[in-house]
Amino acid sequence: MANKSATEPRFACTACGKCCFGWLPLTLEEAFAQAGRFPLAMVWTPVPRSSRAFDLTAPFGTTIHLPNRQQVAVLIAPTAYLPPSFPCPALSEEGLCAIQADKPLRCRTMPFYPYRREEDQADMLVPRKGWACDVSEQAPVVYRQRRIVDRADFDGERAALLAQAPVLRAYAETLLKLYPAVMAQVLAATRSPAKGAFVTGFASFLRHGRQDDAIGFAKQQHPVLIDFEARTTGTPKWAEYGAFYRQSAADLAWFARQV
Amino acid sequence: MSDCVCGSGREFDACCGPILAGQPAPTAEALMRSRYAAYVVGNLDHLERTATPEARQAFNRLDAERVVDETTWLGLEVRRVVGGTVEDQTGQVEFVFRTRQQGKTLAQHELSEFRRDGGIWLYQGSEINPKVPPARVSKVGRNDLCACGSGKKYKKCCGA
Repeated sequence: MANKSATEPRFACTACGKCCFGWLPLTLEEAFAQAGRFPLAMVWTPVPRSSRAFDLTAPFGTTIHLPNRQQVAVLIAPTAYLPPSFPCPALSEEGLCAIQADKPLRCRTMPFYPYRREEDQADMLVPRKGWACDVSEQAPVVYRQRRIVDRADFDGERAALLAQAPVLRAYAETLLKLYPAVMAQVLAATRSPAKGAFVTGFASFLRHGRQDDAIGFAKQQHPVLIDFEARTTGTPKWAEYGAFYRQSAADLAWFARQV
Repeated sequence: MSDCVCGSGREFDACCGPILAGQPAPTAEALMRSRYAAYVVGNLDHLERTATPEARQAFNRLDAERVVDETTWLGLEVRRVVGGTVEDQTGQVEFVFRTRQQGKTLAQHELSEFRRDGGIWLYQGSEINPKVPPARVSKVGRNDLCACGSGKKYKKCCGA
């Protein structure tokens, strides 16, 4: 083989902590379990028909019929909604994960990304600027002929995403029915791939998608949102985040006050 | 003596009051108005009692308690009623109500479906921001009777 390293990429995590910043997609279960730690949002990402990930998006997310009779696949991901330069709240001062035992599936599967096809993972193995991933000859081969060598975490994350998809699909249907503004946001995000995504608050999920322990969830989540609002106000760059935290906290305030 | 919170202009005790107290509503509109009144006065039992089993399942009581606590009710306007009379078994009521929540004034346009179950009107569900049926212009044929009521053919009358 002339260029074996290109077809058999090596990779080892050095626990540099550099990928522990910004948005972190979670499963619903993880989001509810970590409500006292992460400021949460539902991130809606339309995926155009031309994308190689389009076929995957419909089963993980939902298909929305647009008013112009076209269809768009939309991923709806419960997400730890952090500005890109903000470290994960679970990242310790030593740069290590403080919740290693309960680490979200998204973190376990890194650097692989289950929202893409298995044969389209090569890019994910190239360390981004400033990351200290080990891709030398000392690191093990993790991807061979476009197949993931140890696929337990990848398959586990995919199974979890598929299992929760019906709940998120019902949530999306309800929101689209009740709030015309959501359809307008889907359209805007579809037309402008640069913007790409928009968010809705978890209060709307509690109200329409799920009836369990709203009070317990709000009691954990509300102070986190207040804290992140304080950390983002005054920075024009994070104004959008600040406004989201403020609105989400207001939507949950009543639930958080109940005994 | 006070005007009913549903905005009918009648007295509360002669309008939504008795229905909220458990009397069956005579019409779909009366039930709709009493359900709006139930939110205003915080009578959530009435909302559950007057819903079909499917609507009751979709009803989020905890969230309704929040709505009652956080909302100022600014008024109800019933726009259209289809069926729903003392003679009917089903009915539709289209209405708009305005509220104030978290410092924002909101209007909600809704089309609710009602049905009788054992003679009692029940709320079945709603379409929010209902689609208006497309306006149709029917063409008057030359040999049809003229729409002006003259009794002559259109071609001999206004269409001449």
